[in-house]
Amino acid sequence: MKKIFYLFAITAFVFTSCNPLEDVNEEVDALTANDALVDDLVLTLTDEDYTTLELNFGNFSSEEDAKEMLPGFLSAKYPQLGATFLANGDVNQSSSALVTYKLFNKKNDEKSFVNYTVSAADYTAQGLSFPNFSSLNQITAFLDTKYPSAENRLLVDLTYDYYNGTTSTLNNGFINNSGTWEMSIGISDDEYTAMGEGRAQFSSEDEAFVKIPLYLKNKLSFEAPVSGRIEGVMYKLYDSSARVVKSYVAFFIYDGATWTKYNNVINETIKLGHNGVNWVPDNTIKVTLSNADYTLVGNGFFNNFDLRSGKDEETVEQRLAKINTILKNNYPSAVVGQKFAVTYAFYDGSNGNATLNVVLEGSDYVLQ
Amino acid sequence: MKNFKNLLFVALFFVTATVLGQTKITGTIVDETNQPLPGASVLVKGTTNGTSTDFNGKFSLQAKSNSGVLVVSFIGYKPNEVAFSSSKKNLTIKLQEDAGSLDEIVVVSNSFAIDRKTPVAVSTVKAADIELKLGTQEFPEILKSTPGVYATKSGGGYGDGRINLRGFNSENVAVMINGVPVNDMESGRVFWSNWAGLGDVTSAMQVQRGLGASKVAVPSIGGTINILTKTSDVEEGGNIGYSIANDGYSKYGFTYSTGLMDNGVAVSVSASSTEGRGYVDGTAFKGFNYFVNITKEFNDAHKLSLTAFGAKQQHGQRQNRHLISTFRESDRGRKFNSDWGYKNGQETNSEDNFYHKPQISLNHYWNVSDKTFVSTAAYVSFGTGGGGGYRGVNKFGFDNTDYRIGNLGTINFDKIVDENIALGTNGSESILRASRNDHVWYGVLSTLKTDVTDELTFLTGIDVRGYKGIHFTEVTDLLGGQYYLDNSNKNNPNNQTQVGDKIAYDNDGKVGWFGGFAQLEYSKDNLSGFLSANVSNTSYQRVDRFNYLDSDPEQTSEKFNFIGFGTKGGVNYNLDDNHGIFANLGYFERAPYFNAIFTSFVSNTDTNEDAPNQKITSYELGYTYRAEKLTANVNIYRTEWRDRTETASFQQLDGTNATANILGVSAIHQGVELDFTYRATDKLKITGMASLGDWRWGSNVENVKIFNDAQVEVAEVDLFIKDLHVGDAAQTTFALGTSYKLTPETTFTIDANHFANLYSDFDPSDRGTAGAPDAWKVPSFTLFDTAIRHKFKFGSFDTSIIARVNNVFDTVYISDAQDRGTSSAAEAQVYYGAGRTFSVGAKINF
Repeated sequence: MKKIFYLFAITAFVFTSCNPLEDVNEEVDALTANDALVDDLVLTLTDEDYTTLELNFGNFSSEEDAKEMLPGFLSAKYPQLGATFLANGDVNQSSSALVTYKLFNKKNDEKSFVNYTVSAADYTAQGLSFPNFSSLNQITAFLDTKYPSAENRLLVDLTYDYYNGTTSTLNNGFINNSGTWEMSIGISDDEYTAMGEGRAQFSSEDEAFVKIPLYLKNKLSFEAPVSGRIEGVMYKLYDSSARVVKSYVAFFIYDGATWTKYNNVINETIKLGHNGVNWVPDNTIKVTLSNADYTLVGNGFFNNFDLRSGKDEETVEQRLAKINTILKNNYPSAVVGQKFAVTYAFYDGSNGNATLNVVLEGSDYVLQ
Repeated sequence: MKNFKNLLFVALFFVTATVLGQTKITGTIVDETNQPLPGASVLVKGTTNGTSTDFNGKFSLQAKSNSGVLVVSFIGYKPNEVAFSSSKKNLTIKLQEDAGSLDEIVVVSNSFAIDRKTPVAVSTVKAADIELKLGTQEFPEILKSTPGVYATKSGGGYGDGRINLRGFNSENVAVMINGVPVNDMESGRVFWSNWAGLGDVTSAMQVQRGLGASKVAVPSIGGTINILTKTSDVEEGGNIGYSIANDGYSKYGFTYSTGLMDNGVAVSVSASSTEGRGYVDGTAFKGFNYFVNITKEFNDAHKLSLTAFGAKQQHGQRQNRHLISTFRESDRGRKFNSDWGYKNGQETNSEDNFYHKPQISLNHYWNVSDKTFVSTAAYVSFGTGGGGGYRGVNKFGFDNTDYRIGNLGTINFDKIVDENIALGTNGSESILRASRNDHVWYGVLSTLKTDVTDELTFLTGIDVRGYKGIHFTEVTDLLGGQYYLDNSNKNNPNNQTQVGDKIAYDNDGKVGWFGGFAQLEYSKDNLSGFLSANVSNTSYQRVDRFNYLDSDPEQTSEKFNFIGFGTKGGVNYNLDDNHGIFANLGYFERAPYFNAIFTSFVSNTDTNEDAPNQKITSYELGYTYRAEKLTANVNIYRTEWRDRTETASFQQLDGTNATANILGVSAIHQGVELDFTYRATDKLKITGMASLGDWRWGSNVENVKIFNDAQVEVAEVDLFIKDLHVGDAAQTTFALGTSYKLTPETTFTIDANHFANLYSDFDPSDRGTAGAPDAWKVPSFTLFDTAIRHKFKFGSFDTSIIARVNNVFDTVYISDAQDRGTSSAAEAQVYYGAGRTFSVGAKINF
């Protein structure tokens, strides 16, 4: 009797000391060993982030710098994020990051070196039939003629006649920015009056910077300015020591509601994606197919793709064709190079989800 | 010690007293299988001088005369009288089983096999084993140690168990309760949740592999499972029982029998209530089972018996299988279930099941003459119930993190409710629904048995059934919204539905069955044999109340008829008291199932009325060994399944759909089965089983061209299945069990079961690409179960306590897998089997 119990105990030990799923677990775990978490970040860099990036001024000097520095920054800050992989090693799903950062974009405030009022002879000399300008090109052509070797950042306070239905006399500023004339809005006498000035000038710079934002808001409100628009405004101050009126240009930025004095930094956004190894600038749009999408391609009954053998979406090619139809319907204006990560529901005996990564090449979406 | 001295003294006294006695008789009492019968009573006829047998079935008795007659009896067996004399005083007495009315059911069912007589491969599990070992397992799991069987809990919900026989799934396994076939009339499938709790009232469960012994046309390929319920006990009495088990399981129940009363009536009633949270997360359940039997003997010729039983249950399900990696990622491990969550703090299932399917049968037994016996069963069953799921926008996917509380967490029902509330007068966009599958089923089964000569018996009978399956989807929970907009009903478009309203579909499947059978049985001395034939007509008709206007005559389809038939025969020859051999052979054609005819969910006219019969040929050779200590069975079998239903649908020129029948999909299941019982000592019994199957799909089906009306080729079908292993059941199984009596009142058992060559389930209809590999092979595994039973007197009541542990070593294993993609572990969708579970129960008899 004892023998039999021993036999049983030994048998039991032999059987149980091996875990039936040991090999399977190893195999399955290996497939996900490189998988990292996937998330879609939306973030704005903070002051600490710029410190981490060793950007002492709290901004990037160029978009190129941002593209170069952000991947490493994201890897360090979000080490848990990455991509998941298919059995064949291709990326299945990947993380994305929409990063808003500050870009240094210097606009120097200027004061005028030249005041000039365009004469009738000047218009004639430019070959104009009427004694006025009627386009910005004519003005810059005139400035090129008048100041052929203008030094960089030269501000010309220009008074001229302009025809736009009717002829009016305008006074605007033009800055030579490395050979290109950039216009700054000049404030007319009437406008100075409207701002409570007895003369066509401000009493002080402080007053100018308080009043100009309100002035811009009024003047441009019907143009529906977009957030981030930068306007240069030429204003005038009386220099009491030199006893002359001088022209200055200052820049103001619109934030969607108000204008503020521009501090040489603009907000830019960049989209990055994780390719399984690194973050790279990436414009991939992630979409999950909706019931409407399935209906569009005739799969509205079960709202999925049927991957079983012999069924309509068995092959990747069949799925790609339907995804082409859906993306072209939903994103008619997508440009070549636009990438999509399309997540779809499927049935292959069981329900599941999978992702197809495609890119628009020519007129069709192809697998990445 | 003192007692022992007293005993010794008494014994000595007897010895002294019997010095003058004449004859000491010794002997062994055995059953038909030569198994010793412990506790049988032995009495010298006409005296009160008697004894009972020990565990080995042995007795010894001092008779006061030199010759006489011994009366041997044992509950459940026919009494036997044997003469003894001084020269014939060492006896081996055989008792024949007699379960009283059980015997009559056997006749009605024509389905129970008799050892060493019916030439089929068979395993029987009796009530005592079920009581000892079933515990909280699924009912079919009690058969897991018998050859050819693979039984699992599937998703793990209460009643969601399944069983495959010789590799065939439930469509191909006939289940008969008291001789009445219970497979679904439309699909042929068996839903064990309908019979949850049946284990309480089962007196015996017999698995006949292969053709089986049934005479009625139950065209099962894999085998037949016969379940005999208890009937009214002759003696008055009853019991109450209570069990507890893992995960909050509790069950209490009672049984009471009036015994045979003076007016010839006997009534037995049994009921129990079960509830628990389930081993798998989100599978809480509640069940109530009942059983009533009323028997009245009018006279020697007529007896009526009314039986009603049913199990009303509701349980959360784990419907969705997952990748192995998902289970490993989940902190719930193998208990992970994605199909549930909390709504307003209450556990809520996105997948559940509720059913109540009472079966009522009235049996009439009529002894027409000494030689002729007629038994008739009229039965009716009303099923209501269905399975839950969602409808509308799918917010329930396990990886839909928007609606999950945490990674792989529970469903955020509250968020779904909030969103539906916010939709206001637009109605719910996601709701819970139930796919109802109600039915009404009537049947009559009548058999006439007559002894033509002493050796030859003739049986004939009819089997008539009418069935209506009522299929619809109903709204069960609007999840906060005001209504759910359904546009599926042509008779009621743009229906703003409320809870209880029908959506999606509403149709009936009507099945009619008319069958007849006849059998000749020959039995003389060591030879017995039978030859039988059956024929049946199956009719199918479909009523669609959603896709056809009430005014449209096509709302009710044409009726389509299919003839199936079968013939089989077998011989058993007992070489001597120990050795026997048998052989059987059969061929039958089975009508296609409902879905093969009505191939469209939405049409009464896109039908496939030319669907061919499936054809099955099977043979089996067996050897039986019966001896005092060892009984063993060995058999080989081969089953050929040809023209398995295979269709391809395509569009006709006029836009309607048509179906092409593709012939030639076949499977061959062959193998060797061995089982034995060895009674090593008085106390130790060892049982074992080995089942080696080789189940494969047949040849490839290639280049089958499909033509439309205009004889234009519209499709070409290829199925590359040759030699692929049949999936979903372990082809190799071993079992080894011991039962050891620690004391006369205490039994201790250990059972080991090993399962190997289990391939993932796959649909051969989907193997359209050449060179596809076998389905993923699930790692083999071994499970240990143990149980202990102790009997004692609780006051004046006989009481027993049973404790069981299943999967003693908490082995982690995969019980069910579905093949996908590259047929690898990485892509298979699986269910894990349960870890270690326990149950403890007590029963007090009165």
